Amino acid sequence: MSALEQLDSFLDDEGDPFRPDDEVLPVQLEAARERFEQQRSRIPVLERRAKDVGIDDIKTLDDIVPLLFSHTTYKSYPEAFVRKGRWDAMATWLNTVSAQTPTHVDFSGVSDVDEWITRLWENDHPVYVSSGTSGKLSILPMSQLDRRNIGRFIGRVLGWPNPIEPKQNMRFYQLGPSRGPNRQIDNFQMMVQLFARPDGVHTLSDEPLRISIISRAAEMRQRMLDGTATPAEIEEFENEAAARAAPMGDAIKRLADEIVVHRNEPMFVYGFWSQHWQILQEARALGVGDGEFHPDTLIGAGGGAKGFDMPDDFADQIMRFYGNVRRHRGYSMTEMTQVFYQCPENRYHRPPGIIPLILDASGEHLLNEENTVVEGRMGFLDVNVEGRWGGLITGDKVEIDFGPSCPCGRPGPTILDTIVRYKDLGDEDKITCAGSFDAYVRGVVGQ
Amino acid sequence: MSTVATEVIPVAHFVKGEIVTGTEVEYRPRDSAPFATPKLDLDSLVYSRAEPPPAADVPYSEIIELLMETGDHLRRDPEGFLAEALENMVRTSPMGRPVLEWAYGELWRAFDRERIEFQVKEELGGPAVLDGWREVVDAIGRKHGVRAYSPRLVQIIAGNAPGVSVLSVINGAITKSVSLFKLPSNDLFTATAVLRSLAAVAPGHPVTRSFSAAYWRGGDDAVEGILFRPQFFDKVVAWGGESTIKSAVKYLGPGFELVSFDPKTSMSLIGKEAFTDEFTLEEAAAEAAIDATFFNQFMCAATRFIYLEASVDEADRFCQVLQREMAVERPSSSPSGPSVAAEMRDEIDALRMLEPHYRIFGGYEGEGLVIRSEDPVEFYPENKVVNVVPVRSLHEALRYANVSTQTVGVYPPSRKAEVRDALAAAGTQRVVRLGRAGAAVRGLPHDGFYPLNRFVRWVNDED
Repeated sequence: MSALEQLDSFLDDEGDPFRPDDEVLPVQLEAARERFEQQRSRIPVLERRAKDVGIDDIKTLDDIVPLLFSHTTYKSYPEAFVRKGRWDAMATWLNTVSAQTPTHVDFSGVSDVDEWITRLWENDHPVYVSSGTSGKLSILPMSQLDRRNIGRFIGRVLGWPNPIEPKQNMRFYQLGPSRGPNRQIDNFQMMVQLFARPDGVHTLSDEPLRISIISRAAEMRQRMLDGTATPAEIEEFENEAAARAAPMGDAIKRLADEIVVHRNEPMFVYGFWSQHWQILQEARALGVGDGEFHPDTLIGAGGGAKGFDMPDDFADQIMRFYGNVRRHRGYSMTEMTQVFYQCPENRYHRPPGIIPLILDASGEHLLNEENTVVEGRMGFLDVNVEGRWGGLITGDKVEIDFGPSCPCGRPGPTILDTIVRYKDLGDEDKITCAGSFDAYVRGVVGQ
Repeated sequence: MSTVATEVIPVAHFVKGEIVTGTEVEYRPRDSAPFATPKLDLDSLVYSRAEPPPAADVPYSEIIELLMETGDHLRRDPEGFLAEALENMVRTSPMGRPVLEWAYGELWRAFDRERIEFQVKEELGGPAVLDGWREVVDAIGRKHGVRAYSPRLVQIIAGNAPGVSVLSVINGAITKSVSLFKLPSNDLFTATAVLRSLAAVAPGHPVTRSFSAAYWRGGDDAVEGILFRPQFFDKVVAWGGESTIKSAVKYLGPGFELVSFDPKTSMSLIGKEAFTDEFTLEEAAAEAAIDATFFNQFMCAATRFIYLEASVDEADRFCQVLQREMAVERPSSSPSGPSVAAEMRDEIDALRMLEPHYRIFGGYEGEGLVIRSEDPVEFYPENKVVNVVPVRSLHEALRYANVSTQTVGVYPPSRKAEVRDALAAAGTQRVVRLGRAGAAVRGLPHDGFYPLNRFVRWVNDED
């Protein structure tokens, strides 16, 4: 059995998939070696990097560090290709970061980025898309096996540390669109197949998530750069953005009514805090009090309070409302195929397929150290992923405890509940007269 | 730059003419060495409005003499103030020793009588308004007086070129201002070293007592919320620094204004004349390289985008020569670094694979890297990365100029006249001969205004 297969087997056997380092780490390292050997000839940017840094083999964790990509790798395509509809050129780009070659895909008739992505999916080249504050989309090539593995993982751990048995008996409420090339939506669909009762699946909208809408910010920035954006266009852009951010009115009210009616049945409710807040308001209006939900209910909540009229203790109020239910909480990102799942002690446990690599701020030096708590920039190698290279440096500052056990009694390593983005820590007060156009585009770039 | 935790570097403050040492407050930047400063005493940083600023009545001629002596002192550096600051800069600045050594060696040259007098003449119409009330006769014959009175300034200094500190001292002195320098974390030493030299030349002099320099974290409400008030200061003069400008904007209001040298970017326009022969090609590429590598491209005036009247093949020829020229060691550019950051490197690595749409020349270690592309790249080129975009005509390139464009270098210079009005319309502030982007002329407008004219408080005595 190869090391990759062995890691995979941790999901199949009876044991807990979250296991101690002495059991997992040697297998992970060997799996990293196997994965690197397999991928370097398939992924042009990896091959180039390996040559540049002179790494031919992975023997230690230190060998992986120079092979980690930045988040910019998956948004390194020229925006002009999208703007000008050069879909073949986009495919050429995708090929440089992908382990598969989308050469046989015919892009004729494609008119926007949504259609381009759809065409890739139709031709067995799934990609996940995520948007950052820059407005430029990250496009992550996947394989079908990667998608199946995401589904398998979630099927195995949902509800951990007391995983829920996939019995297709839960009601599922996704407070977002039902379709779209996005990890969270795809994930939801996989969970639905495993856990949901066929008549109990509700989403906010059946309109697919439209990527071209998300990428409008990038277009707007370009038009401002060109000096061609008119006040009327800027107004329209801002109104559209406000409309997207606004509560979904009737749709969410309809879902809230559904949720309240079935609150004594196990269900999964997944959405932004602001949407949970709206559900709470609706429930209150219907005279429903705190703590009336079925204990096997699972609540997934994320996003901030920005732009919504919510009290400071909105999260507490919402969780009080749901009562003695379970929180679906983990540390993950579009770039990961597995999740650091949260334990009752609020720590995030390392899944078998991911090697955490804690780096100094420059991202060049590995700080991992046995039996101690290390603070630094989160990097990782997702050895599971086969559609692209799974090594990445994130923008997150984390503290990770490499000790053998977590206060919850289960084995480490664990990430502490202190994750922040370096970006949110503010700039470094390095003052310079040089700056880019972005400082001049109010309301379009970042927030 | 060392990334392993190193010793904490002490950073001195300078308060009203006196050096203040201490390490009570420690700062640990993510990507540079930790440092420690004395605790701030906010009371010591302000000057009561009940009294005129200390230098208000010092004659202009005396200030000029003082500045000349200071310049000479900086050249000789007998106490080693500059030498000490330079060593600290080498440890904390990404610029690298060779360029810093050159820049420090040049600092004294800014204290030049002719250049300062030219500046005062151009910006204020001569020193009369500084020393007293210049008589103005209005349209109906009444006589009034106008004075450029001593302002109270917070000067937020940029740290990407040591010369900024020197200019801020000179500008502060000739306007007879009181100036509180907010030091940037990327240059915690130059301004203080220059002020120490001033204090060595004229201890206790009213001009010396007019200056303070301190570090606090930009945007710190505990400091800025108290100090940024019209009761204490007239203006914030900002050379950049997003946090501080954002913070300062919160406090703007009647009596408290912002004078901003905005964050800028620069570009070049190169005409087909560059391809006349081998000599012109070499010349244009060398001049472009000088502009692209100025202060290792840390300056706003350093070009980042070059629009070239050429076919793709011609452009590739040009790029090859350009990259070779960028690797040449110059006083203002060292080919040994700094290296290109990982995020940009990863983007460029992907672009490498997109030939013929993109072509990459050079490498990541400071030797210069040129990206030739059909459209400008979407990231902000730095650390000696320059993007060459072939265009059919220079007019086609004009649309790439906008309100963030500071300097546009043009080759050959004879073609400046053809583009300058359109560039002005787009928002550009400065059109120069290619190769002269770094050679700013004091006394001409800077970032679209006459700085001294904005710094002073214009006061009338009307009949």
